[in-house]
Amino acid sequence: MNILISGGAKNGKSMFAQKTARTMAQEHDVPLHYVATMIPVDGEDEARIRRHRKERAGWGFETLERGRDLPGLLAGNAKATDARPDDPETAPVEAAVTVAEGGAEPADPRGVFLLDSVTALLGNEMFLPDGSVDRNAPERVAEDCVRFAEMTGSTLFVSDYIYGGAETYECGAVKTEDPDDLTEAYRRGLALIDRRLAQVCDRVVEVSAGCVEDWKTPADSRPDNIEEYSSEDEQPER
Amino acid sequence: MILIFGGAHQGKREYAAQLPGVKTVADCLPDFTADAVCGLEDFTLACTRQGVEAADWFRDRREQWQGKVLIIRDISQGIVPMDATQRAWREMNGRLMIYLASEAEEVHRVFCGIGKRIR
Repeated sequence: MNILISGGAKNGKSMFAQKTARTMAQEHDVPLHYVATMIPVDGEDEARIRRHRKERAGWGFETLERGRDLPGLLAGNAKATDARPDDPETAPVEAAVTVAEGGAEPADPRGVFLLDSVTALLGNEMFLPDGSVDRNAPERVAEDCVRFAEMTGSTLFVSDYIYGGAETYECGAVKTEDPDDLTEAYRRGLALIDRRLAQVCDRVVEVSAGCVEDWKTPADSRPDNIEEYSSEDEQPER
Repeated sequence: MILIFGGAHQGKREYAAQLPGVKTVADCLPDFTADAVCGLEDFTLACTRQGVEAADWFRDRREQWQGKVLIIRDISQGIVPMDATQRAWREMNGRLMIYLASEAEEVHRVFCGIGKRIR
């Protein structure tokens, strides 16, 4: 089962994703992979990565660093960094760009993958180290993510709900959205990926204050269950 | 009237377009000739600039939008904007959403392209 998990910052998305991924891996007795998407650029990032690794220690995750080119993870270009029993406090944080060229064993697509986060993945693909911007990144990352979901059949995608604010409108202008505004282009791009993933994922959830609201469940995709679903007090979704 | 709200780029218009009875979607107000009207947040921004209370404008034209589908972006969940117009707009948009929701037979929210009736 592929799952899309979104919601506001610090609302419990990652914790829900970790628990669900672990349960799925245990149920099917398959490897549990953590696809880490952050490419650290400074000490603050490295400290955050160490903290996250420490939080995941003992969960059974194998960490795969992948800041770009998601499908390449299954083609044998990733290097597992948490596979060795390093102390998460002292383990060096390697830049995913170099790790990606490590040429390790391909990840087993039969495993469960937790990708945290789609947000960072798009940022890495769209805003390049040389300062240039790849405006084709949203479309490409959307295709990559959909393909990854299809290849693995059990990926949990963590994204971020960044669509609820008023700050992107330029109030001095007549038209509200400036097409050259990179923040808005990024936000529109992430929304595109979210919507594509929502179409292909079997389950879509929103996490708020640690509470999980289902927007799509596996029952929604099964025609034989439509009647059962419609019998609820609310209207069916779509 | 059916009210549809959701964040930016969530697929509100596409969701509205597949509701029963919705054949045409207008892009802006004041235009109630189509089955649905999209982008009410642009209207509330214009109201903010002109000093018109958007909810009052709708209240005065209540009969015009009966039976319509109204689509509005929820802009309430981010940081309080630095810009005074944006702050005022954010609040006016919220007041309009509350008024329209109170008048609506159905309220739907759209999230990641998926719509759900929440009331």
